[in-house]
Amino acid sequence: MDRSAFTIPCLALAVLGTLYASEQLTKSPPDDGKIHVKYWEKWTAFEFDAMKHVVDEFNKSQNKIRVDILSVSGIEDKTLMAVSGGIPPDVAGLYGPNVTQYADDHAVMQLDDMCREAGIKRDDYIAPYWDACVIRDHLYALPSTPATTALHYNRALFREVGLDPDKPPRTIDELNAMADKLTVIEKNGHVKRTGFMVTEPGWWNWAWGPFFGGKLWDGKGKITINSPENIKAFTWIQSFSKKYGASALSSFQNGFNNMFSSPQNPFMTGQTAMEIQGVWMYNFIQKFNPKLDWGAAPFPSASPDLQDPTVIDLDVLCIPKGAKHPKEAFEFLKFVESQKGLEMLCLGQKKITPLKKVSNGFIEHHPNPFIKLFIKLAYSKTAVSTPKLGIWSQYSDEINNAFSAVTLMTKTPKQALDDVANRMQPMLDKYMERLRVRGEQ
Amino acid sequence: MKSQQQAVTVQKVLVQVALVVLSIAFLFPFAWLVLTALKPLNETMSMPIRWLPSKFMWGNFKDAAIYGHESLGYYPFLVYAVNTVIVCILIVAGTVASNSVVAYAFARLRWPGRDLAFGITLATMMVPFPVLMVPTFALFRHLDWIGTYRPLWVPAWFGSAFSIFLLRQFFRTIPFELTEAAKIDGASEWRIFRTIVLPLSKAALAVVALFSFMGAWNDFLGPLIYLLDQKTFTLSLGLQFYQSQNGGTSWNLLMAASSMVIAPVIILFFFTQRLFIQGIAITGLKG
Amino acid sequence: MKSITKREAWAGYLFASPWLLGFLVFMSYPLIASIYFSLCDYSVLKSPVWVGIDNYKMLMHDELFRTTLANTFLYAAIALPAGMATAIILAMLLNAKVKGMALYRTFFFIPSLVPQVSLAILWRWVLDGEHGVLNPVLAKIGIHGPNWLNDPLWAKPSLVLMAMWGVGNAMLIYLAGLQDVPTQLIEASELDGANGWQKTKHVTLPMISPVILFNGIMGIIGSLQVFTVPYIMFPGGAPVHSTYFYTEYLYDNAFRYHKMGYASAMGWIMFIVILVLTMLSLRMSEKHVHYQGS
Repeated sequence: MDRSAFTIPCLALAVLGTLYASEQLTKSPPDDGKIHVKYWEKWTAFEFDAMKHVVDEFNKSQNKIRVDILSVSGIEDKTLMAVSGGIPPDVAGLYGPNVTQYADDHAVMQLDDMCREAGIKRDDYIAPYWDACVIRDHLYALPSTPATTALHYNRALFREVGLDPDKPPRTIDELNAMADKLTVIEKNGHVKRTGFMVTEPGWWNWAWGPFFGGKLWDGKGKITINSPENIKAFTWIQSFSKKYGASALSSFQNGFNNMFSSPQNPFMTGQTAMEIQGVWMYNFIQKFNPKLDWGAAPFPSASPDLQDPTVIDLDVLCIPKGAKHPKEAFEFLKFVESQKGLEMLCLGQKKITPLKKVSNGFIEHHPNPFIKLFIKLAYSKTAVSTPKLGIWSQYSDEINNAFSAVTLMTKTPKQALDDVANRMQPMLDKYMERLRVRGEQ
Repeated sequence: MKSQQQAVTVQKVLVQVALVVLSIAFLFPFAWLVLTALKPLNETMSMPIRWLPSKFMWGNFKDAAIYGHESLGYYPFLVYAVNTVIVCILIVAGTVASNSVVAYAFARLRWPGRDLAFGITLATMMVPFPVLMVPTFALFRHLDWIGTYRPLWVPAWFGSAFSIFLLRQFFRTIPFELTEAAKIDGASEWRIFRTIVLPLSKAALAVVALFSFMGAWNDFLGPLIYLLDQKTFTLSLGLQFYQSQNGGTSWNLLMAASSMVIAPVIILFFFTQRLFIQGIAITGLKG
Repeated sequence: MKSITKREAWAGYLFASPWLLGFLVFMSYPLIASIYFSLCDYSVLKSPVWVGIDNYKMLMHDELFRTTLANTFLYAAIALPAGMATAIILAMLLNAKVKGMALYRTFFFIPSLVPQVSLAILWRWVLDGEHGVLNPVLAKIGIHGPNWLNDPLWAKPSLVLMAMWGVGNAMLIYLAGLQDVPTQLIEASELDGANGWQKTKHVTLPMISPVILFNGIMGIIGSLQVFTVPYIMFPGGAPVHSTYFYTEYLYDNAFRYHKMGYASAMGWIMFIVILVLTMLSLRMSEKHVHYQGS
């Protein structure tokens, strides 16, 4: 007999072993008599820890259900794939702006009845956070951790250039003037420090228009991104590139691309003196540069009737369609949505709570010195939210592209926004028509 | 005659110089990768660029292999490496096994419709993956295979045009007299395939294995669509997960993991490259 | 020529059966289904709704579709010849008879072994206009390097640069082809007094022309599908959609915007484009490709 008579069975055995391993790796965990609720979250690091703590508390509070939390990257895409693949988690921690798209696709369950039974109601929540979860009169998600944004500024740098650190800018004009003072440009045109960085962190490029009084759509069927207010906002955005040079700014920006959560974050290093940031910024300052002398204030207003502009940013919990244990999943949601649960979670993540009622302990124990400001901002009249449109992911991609065209000065603000409007209008028409056909409008 | 010899020497020196210069260009980013793997974290991103680490952190390699925090969704790179190897083994085994059998049918057996089938097979090389992406996803969804490795490796067991083509061309170069003799002795086709054709085709099989390995190794879109759970990720996907987070990434560990993973492959290639080139040369890629 | 025996025919079908089955399940079914989906409004979760050629009509008016198509063609038009030239030159160098060849071959192949994701990260550092490694090196030889990653004009060339670096597979195939060129032919041309360039042009290149054709077609198919590296290096096709490629837009439509029907239509258009280009290159090459023995 030749050698191959021996090698081939050996190879076959090795392949079979690998096959076995591959199947084991993707198998679900063994049965321990409890109902296992699979929970996917986007968070990592300490934000994840805070939620894990709540999950542990819930698991301890009863002995029938066990929630298994798992950190998942790209959760907004992966959850859809899992739902369509028929293996969704029982609870998914999506981003607030995803809810409409998921509701349109019927990828998440309506929670109205269960919430009514459990006594979870709109009156208890700060309105915009609850409303972000309501699509066409049905509730599809519940807020988990909410946030507002404010101007963060470097007090030491204010002092350095002779500005009063207790008087942050109140209007856009003041902001521009102070930014000029704080900006340092080297002789060769290199930017060394920016006073205000409109591209940092670049997470809410859509919000600048609404900060200037613009609307993203009229609520009926028209894209209004090229309205005069929005154009004004984008003209302001471009003014920085005009002043300091588009390519100088972009290569400056490139140096700390993807470094938000690192000591190289330009706000921590003092490379930018002012930027818009959320309530969580405190944690990162604490972690990467606790000595930083900083302050937070309402973002400057574009006009007197637009005081205290802020972004309503939130994470939500929902129950995907096809979840194996929706009832048990809702038990967990109920636990999280109690005042105790939400405060435990939001204090752990050092954000604000979505509930109107705030315990004294929450504010007392909250380490962020500006927590009251962030809570107050949630009630601001110029609090802006993402539009509840199923085509939002594409719309926001388009706005981001226009934003980058404007900052790189490849288009004028009007051109860039007209392009977005021309592109999105037919998509919105089609979207509205589809809703009409399905009788969901 | 002397001047001609001189010309040859000059030419050789020039070639040698070109090879060295190009080697540096091709090795440079790789060297950068290894150097980054040896740096302490705060030096990985320092400006201006630091070429050499202030201290060689050999421990990074160990950390990259075992550091992890399961509940946080961080798995050691070793886990991703093992996953990738598992998928690669299944794909390579399937590719070699299925395509050699199929190519045998196309190369050395006669059956009605063979040439038409071969023409269609060649045409499928032109089908881009994105065309198949949506319906294939729908198909695997119906089979409940989303979130498992099956969508990645099962298709490999059913042949692929490129490998069939390669092996067919090779099998045709084996003299028919060899197999005819066995046939007259009453050997079955399977026996001829196993005992005569396969043992003569090691180089070609190695080429097919190499190309399918490279494909599986670098595949990103497939795992991106089909794998859901962090702990099942392949290296490409795991690495992407780390770099897509907003900073806080342990670049040094990431690069340590990358270099550990490619080191064995590089060594393997070094010792087998002659075989591959021979394999390709004998197969019919020349047309 | 004997007639086909029944036994041999059966064996043939049996041996070919994995592929015949695979072709039906993993190739023809998806192809046909994708035609159907491309004529539907389909979001994976709901069953497809027939809309006729709506998707194709919308594609004709979709500016971003045109942008990504143009980007992809432009990229392929630069990357393909650049990559082929690199691969051929490397292969010819590697075919020379000098010491340490195994080592050089391995060196040139290494970039193809590095996971593409690591590569993408690495190149961001190399090319970064402000802090990257490349521009200081260029500055030393008096070239003022551009802002590779942030300039819409230079982002695509930086991808081409990366592609030239990962030509290992093609290089191996060329090398194999070169080793097959009969030495007598080269010696004969040397006796005729041909210099290095003449030898290359009149002997070597014609002899490996079938390999060039093969690699060229593979290159067309590959470069038109470019996805991983730009997806990681330039999220969202930044700057200003200059690196937004066809497959990325298709992926976004399918899995981010949940427009599977639209994505299928895009896929079919790509298939047709590749088919036409392949036919064209086969037709055009007829005159130039030299087959040994024919």
